[in-house]
Amino acid sequence: MVLLLVLAGLYLFGQFSRQINERSDRELMAEEQVWIDYLQTGLENGRVFILKTREVAVYPVNMAVNEVPALEDITEKLQGSQTGFPYRQLSQVVQIGDISYQIILKKSQEQKTILLNNFRRTMLFVLAGLFIVVLIFNWIISRNLWAPFRQSLQKIRDTELSKIHSLQFNQTDTAEFNELNNSLNAMRDKIYGDYINMKEFTENAAHEMQTPIAVVQGKLELLLQDQNLHEAQVQLIADAGAVLNRLARLNKGLLLLAKIENNQYEAAEHLSFTAITEKYLRLFDDLIRAKSLSVETVVENDFNPALHPLLADSLVTNLLGNAIKYNYTGGTIRIVVSKAKYQVSNSSLLDPIPAEKLFRRFNTSKEEDESSNGLGLAIVKKIADSNGLLLDYFVENGIHSFIVRSHG
Amino acid sequence: MKILIIEDEKALRDSIKQYLEYQGFICETADNFLKGKEKVSQFAYDCVVVDLGLPYGNGLDIVSAIREMESKAGIIIISARNALDDKLKGLELGSDDYLTKPFHLSELNARINAIVRRRTFDGNKVICFNEIKLEPEARRLTVHDKPVELTEKEYQLLEYFIANQRRVLTKAAIAEHVWGDEYVQAGDYDFIYSHIKNVRKKLLDAGSGDYIKTVYRSGYRMTDN
Repeated sequence: MVLLLVLAGLYLFGQFSRQINERSDRELMAEEQVWIDYLQTGLENGRVFILKTREVAVYPVNMAVNEVPALEDITEKLQGSQTGFPYRQLSQVVQIGDISYQIILKKSQEQKTILLNNFRRTMLFVLAGLFIVVLIFNWIISRNLWAPFRQSLQKIRDTELSKIHSLQFNQTDTAEFNELNNSLNAMRDKIYGDYINMKEFTENAAHEMQTPIAVVQGKLELLLQDQNLHEAQVQLIADAGAVLNRLARLNKGLLLLAKIENNQYEAAEHLSFTAITEKYLRLFDDLIRAKSLSVETVVENDFNPALHPLLADSLVTNLLGNAIKYNYTGGTIRIVVSKAKYQVSNSSLLDPIPAEKLFRRFNTSKEEDESSNGLGLAIVKKIADSNGLLLDYFVENGIHSFIVRSHG
Repeated sequence: MKILIIEDEKALRDSIKQYLEYQGFICETADNFLKGKEKVSQFAYDCVVVDLGLPYGNGLDIVSAIREMESKAGIIIISARNALDDKLKGLELGSDDYLTKPFHLSELNARINAIVRRRTFDGNKVICFNEIKLEPEARRLTVHDKPVELTEKEYQLLEYFIANQRRVLTKAAIAEHVWGDEYVQAGDYDFIYSHIKNVRKKLLDAGSGDYIKTVYRSGYRMTDN
């Protein structure tokens, strides 16, 4: 666009300039004609004419006649001055009777230059102004016209899958954007529907598996009652049963995760983590003593997040259970409860868990034991995430610590 | 003792029936809501085992129906759902217990025993196994009529064994009954060995027979043959 304006400007300027020049030249030629007429009149009187001023020079010469006048731009310096002035000069040798006269006519171009400068200035001003106004208009239109588009774009950028049902694309004044928004709304509905389906599927699948697992467990239990079994057979049944138990617990864990994901455990009240900890320390007492673990509980203040009781229980049993399970005989457990945080630390011979595997599902320690299904920490993380709690893990001097903190 | 089992999954229904019959209960079964309702209205059962996910109706409605009939039967709900709402609703409507699938048959058996015992009004609420007598109300053990001290966990262990006498009980089933589901998160089941050893010792010291036997690699059994 700028190019267009520049070209237009140059063209206009060129045309104007040319017009002025042509006008100027015509005037010069008209003036020459006047002098020629005058000279011819004078010739009849037998006089010879000589005139030499700055602007007019008419005198006889002994040169050949020009058929056509020569027009050119010249610069002349005034006497005693350094500056040159622009002139347009017409010179021609004409035949008046027997005598050849040299006619030289000069016209000051100063006015013209001034005029042209003014013109140029005005044009620049107008064109620049036009340009700026166009820019401003463009900007205003762009802002207003495209606002709904940008709105939709921003909404898309901010979208989270879990909150997608609250995404709404509104009606606008522009038909095309309405078309866009309606399509976006339709897409949102479809995505949300698929999302819910998938979540429900996970939950339903885990749920459906409960009965078959129960059946197989029952059959194995009945099989075990047979008095005529060999040791080897009993061993097989027992092994199968143990793994089935693991499957059953894995399924329960998956089901819990799916239900938490589906917001089925709304935080009902503020719970006392001190009380829950005491409850489970009592429950796990036999195990703690079997491993000769020394447990220290430091209660500075009670930790009272808002949680569903089942989730609170699950959180504590997972953390405490891990602290016992991954500990060595004679090891230590330290629990710190304060207003801002709940921390469970335990001694362990295991390596620190690498960060990228920490809360992933199915990440188990190297030992393949019956009780580990790799979901414990994933469950703890999910409980924390869906209830506004922060979860940290660090290892120092062979002590592994998990810290639960409330936001803010 | 007559038990009604209302469960639509045939394999599970058969397993429960087999186990309970071996324990001496007389069992009848129904595979859907309508048949279940029909049977309940026709016979007086001592305990009804109801699955919630039945065809043609909700198991909770059978619970209401049984209570409306002013039946004295105990009700235990079994379900794959572990929903607190269901449990509370069931208790509200009049069920005695709620067991989540998957469960050990020995666990179901122990719970049915407890319900039936609670609902028997003939005053004789003693659990016997030869010379071993348990009084559930007082949580007391006597051997040859002489009292024997037991911890709470040891009592629960013994009660479980007697309820499931002559059956092989897996370590998992025993641990989950006495110590609960969460225990397994903290370790394996081997810790129960020392508790069982204590119970055994106390019984033997009191002069009872050696009934609690270890079944190689799979669990324990209380039996007198």
